[in-house]
Amino acid sequence: MDRRDFFKIFSTASAGLMTGACGKKLDTYIPLLVPDQEIVPGAEQWYPALCGECPSGCGVIVRVMESERVIERNGEKFRQKIAAVKKIEGNPLDTVSGGRLCARGQAGVQSLYNPDRLRGPMHRKGPRGQADFIATSWDEAIAVAAEKLDRVRQENPSQIVFLTGPQPGARALAIAQFLDALGAPPPACFELVDFPLERKAAEQVYGWVGLPVYDLSNARYALGIGADFLGGWTSPVFYARQFGHFRQGRSAVRGRLVQAQSRFSITAQSADEWAPLLPGSELPFALAIGHLLLSEKMARQPEALPDPVRQAFDSADPASAARACGLDERRLRRLARELGESEAPLVISGASTPQTNSLAALVAAAYLNVLLGNVGRPGGVWPPPPGTAENRAAFSNALSLLERAQYLFLDGSNPVYTLPASAGVAEKLGRIPTSVSFSPFLDDSAAYVDLLLPDHHPLEGSNAVFPMVAPGPAVVVTTQFVQPLYDTRATEQVLAAIAAKMGLSFQPVPARSVAERILPEGQPWDEVVEQGGFWGEPGSDSSPGSRPARSRASSPAASSGIDGAPAAFSGEAAQFPLYFQPYLSLQFQDGRGANLPWMQELPDPVSSAMWGLPVEIDTRTAAALGIRNGDLVRVESPHGHIDAPAYVHPAAIPGVVSMAIGGGHKHYGRYAGRGANPLSILAPVWEKTTGALALGATRVRLSKLGPERQLIQFSANDREQGPWGYR
Amino acid sequence: MGVQIMAEQPAPTASHRWGMAIDLDRCTGCEACVVACHAENNLPVWNPTEAARGRTVHWIRVDRYYEGEFPDIKVKYMPVLCQQCDEAPCEPVCPVYATYRNPEGLNVQVYNRCVGTRYCGNNCPYSVRFFNFFPPQWDAPLELQHNPDVAVRMVGVMEKCTFCIQRIQRAKLDAAADGRPLADGEIKPACVQSCPAEAMVFGDLNDPESKVSRLAASGRATRLLEDLGTKPKVFYLQRAK
Amino acid sequence: MATTLRTLPHDQIQEDTWRTLRNTSPQYVTAVLLTGSVTAWGLICWAYQISKGLGVVGKTRPTMWALYILNFVFWIGISHAGTLISAILRLTHAAWRKPVTRAAEAITVFCLMIGGLFPIIHLGRPWLFYWLIPYPNSRLIWPNFRSPLLWDLTAILTYLTGSMLFLYLPMIPDLGQLGLHTGGARGLLYRTLSLGWTGSDREWHALERAMKLMAGMILAVAVSVHTVVAWDFAMALAPMWHSTIFGPYFVVGAIFSGIAALLLIMAVIRKTMGLEAYIQPRHFENLAKLLFLMSLLWAYFTVAENLTVWYGNQPHEMAVFGARVRGRYAPFFWSMVICNFIVPCVLLGIRRLRSIKTAVISAVCVLAGMWLERFLIVIPTLSFPPLPSAWGTGYNATWVEISIAISTFAAMALLYLIFAKLFPIIAIWEYKYVPDE
Repeated sequence: MDRRDFFKIFSTASAGLMTGACGKKLDTYIPLLVPDQEIVPGAEQWYPALCGECPSGCGVIVRVMESERVIERNGEKFRQKIAAVKKIEGNPLDTVSGGRLCARGQAGVQSLYNPDRLRGPMHRKGPRGQADFIATSWDEAIAVAAEKLDRVRQENPSQIVFLTGPQPGARALAIAQFLDALGAPPPACFELVDFPLERKAAEQVYGWVGLPVYDLSNARYALGIGADFLGGWTSPVFYARQFGHFRQGRSAVRGRLVQAQSRFSITAQSADEWAPLLPGSELPFALAIGHLLLSEKMARQPEALPDPVRQAFDSADPASAARACGLDERRLRRLARELGESEAPLVISGASTPQTNSLAALVAAAYLNVLLGNVGRPGGVWPPPPGTAENRAAFSNALSLLERAQYLFLDGSNPVYTLPASAGVAEKLGRIPTSVSFSPFLDDSAAYVDLLLPDHHPLEGSNAVFPMVAPGPAVVVTTQFVQPLYDTRATEQVLAAIAAKMGLSFQPVPARSVAERILPEGQPWDEVVEQGGFWGEPGSDSSPGSRPARSRASSPAASSGIDGAPAAFSGEAAQFPLYFQPYLSLQFQDGRGANLPWMQELPDPVSSAMWGLPVEIDTRTAAALGIRNGDLVRVESPHGHIDAPAYVHPAAIPGVVSMAIGGGHKHYGRYAGRGANPLSILAPVWEKTTGALALGATRVRLSKLGPERQLIQFSANDREQGPWGYR
Repeated sequence: MGVQIMAEQPAPTASHRWGMAIDLDRCTGCEACVVACHAENNLPVWNPTEAARGRTVHWIRVDRYYEGEFPDIKVKYMPVLCQQCDEAPCEPVCPVYATYRNPEGLNVQVYNRCVGTRYCGNNCPYSVRFFNFFPPQWDAPLELQHNPDVAVRMVGVMEKCTFCIQRIQRAKLDAAADGRPLADGEIKPACVQSCPAEAMVFGDLNDPESKVSRLAASGRATRLLEDLGTKPKVFYLQRAK
Repeated sequence: MATTLRTLPHDQIQEDTWRTLRNTSPQYVTAVLLTGSVTAWGLICWAYQISKGLGVVGKTRPTMWALYILNFVFWIGISHAGTLISAILRLTHAAWRKPVTRAAEAITVFCLMIGGLFPIIHLGRPWLFYWLIPYPNSRLIWPNFRSPLLWDLTAILTYLTGSMLFLYLPMIPDLGQLGLHTGGARGLLYRTLSLGWTGSDREWHALERAMKLMAGMILAVAVSVHTVVAWDFAMALAPMWHSTIFGPYFVVGAIFSGIAALLLIMAVIRKTMGLEAYIQPRHFENLAKLLFLMSLLWAYFTVAENLTVWYGNQPHEMAVFGARVRGRYAPFFWSMVICNFIVPCVLLGIRRLRSIKTAVISAVCVLAGMWLERFLIVIPTLSFPPLPSAWGTGYNATWVEISIAISTFAAMALLYLIFAKLFPIIAIWEYKYVPDE
């Protein structure tokens, strides 16, 4: 027996002795367990891990030190020494994070130690949606889950629906294999943070499966169209690093960024110039730029364009495009000229606020890179890293799935919150006979399920994940390094147990075999585990699995050109005169960060608001409606209304109302819940090819409710009350 | 014998003068530095009521100022933290010497000595000093995250950015144990380490070859409220054109 | 035509002043109970504040100093009443000061005691206030003598000691007299405190010399005290604090508010203790004239300060100036101007309007106006620090600090009531033994 076992037995026995002997509550505390690894009190240890705060897949290193917590067993209090996570930093070996980390990543510790984490499995007691659960045991929970699942499987396995997150890796693969063993359809992803439009555009134009990677650090002139890549987009840390290098990382070159977006986003703020586009006008903008590049002979590879696409560009009219965008035509021409004349031009396009015509806009913008000849070149757009295509759930509009589901699994998906009320997700969830959530938290969607089977926190589990964006082959590998805090279980194990209960053979694929798909030949696995993953140089790999997947489908644009239809909006302009743009917030992204107190008290980058995000209204609309900073306003769409404090935004486009996503949770713990959810009032407008929610397609009207100052700002509004008018 | 061993210790190196350079051309205003500081230094988090009363504590914050009118509108934003002034106005006014400048140029806040007159908070022109109006508290088990290298301040004392003095101390101890001088860039306060755009640089201003010294001497370097004569040691590199 | 003191027999004077010492009216008991309970409520609030933390008051970032410091300056300012009357008027041989010397000195002592309490109340860790006192300690450092707060401590303690002496010394002859005629514990108190006074020529001579010396010294201390309090602000870099005018400005303002307080208290004593024969209209006339003069002086300093700031147009200062004159704090500013300048000048400057009643009204207005002036010194500057991102006009006093502030007024009244019950409020011997001039 080694020292560890000795202590375990000794302390448990002595604790038992003490409780047996005294028969009363102990005043003094006894250390119960020695942590599994040799933790020296006061000395730190660093372990590699995966940041779980967004699906980008940054590798991190975690500082672990001894700590103590008080636990209760049989009504008695004991002090337990545990290995506690103190700080998260980026993994310096990771080519995505490069040793850096964003605000949400730093807050990962608060997610791990959140007081509202589920302590163990629970099953529903009260009616759906009331979040009335009582604790149960794993054996019982798994037995119930398996029994019901077996029934559905035998009746009609196509009615088993698994909604999961967009991250590719061992977990996604395990889920896919589980469903395969059941004979059920593959898992579906319906998350805002999947960026399905960007993926689809990349597939159609470049033939890649996955998100394109923009080599911003080697570009000289970057034109961003619609993508808040520095704020919260496909990979915030990666692109911020790229941006820093783009600006001041080269001795003789300073990159120039122009951001064309319908909102003064973080990227627009950091840019050298912001071209304010009216919502939905990214398409005419991109077409006009392409037209000017071609007409002024600045396109490097015009012959690379398919003819229908060439025609779409040629037929674009810069004057009317400028009008559609709300820009001055000369400015449009100047931007095109600057882009075309640059030695290393790059167009970064995305749909931070998707519209109904966003796919066409993204396709047009992607063809701009083709025109400029920077595809696959330094300073241009690169294919997605290998591994991000196969091992993930495909994006699909899950509403029809929910309609006919008889059994629902939720893992990393919160559709009740992220979909509009008009889509009726809550009702649909309520009608599904059996539903299970693996989330470590009781969120808005978990409130409607029958069984809570909480997963470990990402920092407590093992996984192999392919980052969404990386400059070369990359995989983040984590092995468990701290004891799980509560009675949680890794979802793969739970699925295996359920399968076993049903008599099916299913074993989750080990992280190693998933990771090895992209590792070069002869890469020692121990080294990968020790480093926390593998990150290769672009193009340096040799294993066949390390090539990016290519789409074999033909591009619709290549055959039928680019659909120039303008964006469609729900709501009569006379009744609802304002555009409405919910956007992924820096603090909460799609709302998942709302249960983190650091994020709630982080001053919002736009308004410095804390504990509740405002509606951002432009100065002209605010003046017309008599709305002052902090007033409570009602935002009304054809499908509902929300009430939130107003922020009079000096840089908002007239007629465009924006609001960060993240407030208004009905269930998500004690820190979430304040504010309003802008997604709830959206119209059920979907982009027709991908089925993605068109976040920006709802028109609204505003009315002032009252002067109650509910806006909590860290800094005074810099336009307000300077009697000397400081600006 | 003991005296002999003492004599063999390496002579103390020239004293350091810690400074920071923040490149506003790289900074995106993402506030990763703000949260990293919270995590490293056991900063308290309050609640909506206290936040509404202006009691939130952010040792580093991102200030934003708009210039112009839409559509020709620009925003200037910059991370503001304790400037560790050489002529700090907060130091002479503390009646109990709870804040003073240490030999390495750091403006040190001694929590044990502070009685909470808050004079230093009034006299800081950068408003980077914070007061603990209530005993800080964390809903269990959030306190498991506390950094044991940093004190948790009690009610009634002032606090502010320390340039992560605990990291400086640790690096100096490690270097002394290894018998080598500190390398430039070896010490990274939490904000500097986290910044994704690599906009923040920390180092020794006494070393003319250090990155921070070279950046501080560059044409783009300015300091905040320089005309007040506080001689801050945080250099802001203005956004280039 | 007022009765001159020469026409009153000495026994009559003694009888009049001793009457209130002996008889306790029901109004007195009510007053003591009322002020006592308000004071007790204030102490409870303070205990609550200590147990919960300073967060229960309205102070915030950036206004880290607010009601408590404001009241501190206000009370220290009022304490200059005694200095003016006892010291200045004594040195200038102004005979009309006689009925008011002790009342004024009592104001000084109690105001200093209350005012000196506020810096302790406003501390974050008040149980450690004694760390500001220079004594050999385990921290192995002396306090920081460069800090204006240490100068405060020194000056106020000096002034308090001096004022207590200045109150006590001239009480000795009266205490001696009282001790002869009072029995029991109270008589013992008087006899002990009178230090065996027999009224011999040598003793009178010594007393006169001591008073003359004290008068000169206390005047110097008083000027330095309020200058030092002013330097709490002037030594700071904060916009509109860092001004050379603060020292003299505060001294003038202190004397101004001191006279007003004295006027008010005199009127109260006169009414409640039936001392109409002693505190006569001409006393009010003289004090009113002094108040009017101080009002003009105050206005001069105010104009000088504000004009210079406005003309200089420094951005940091203009933010504060604008907030005071036409921004959020404008109501306070203009009320202050009315209370401190318009009302006294009209009511006291126009001879026809000058009377005891208008003098008292002016005094109350001036006290309110001077409180507002302290408010306007502390809060707007802190609300608009040099970096606009930290601007915050969200200071709102909470019930805790308002309770404590109000209770200090009650405490002052309580202390005064007890004092007036124990000791004669008029210096009897000054009437008997010092000829009128």
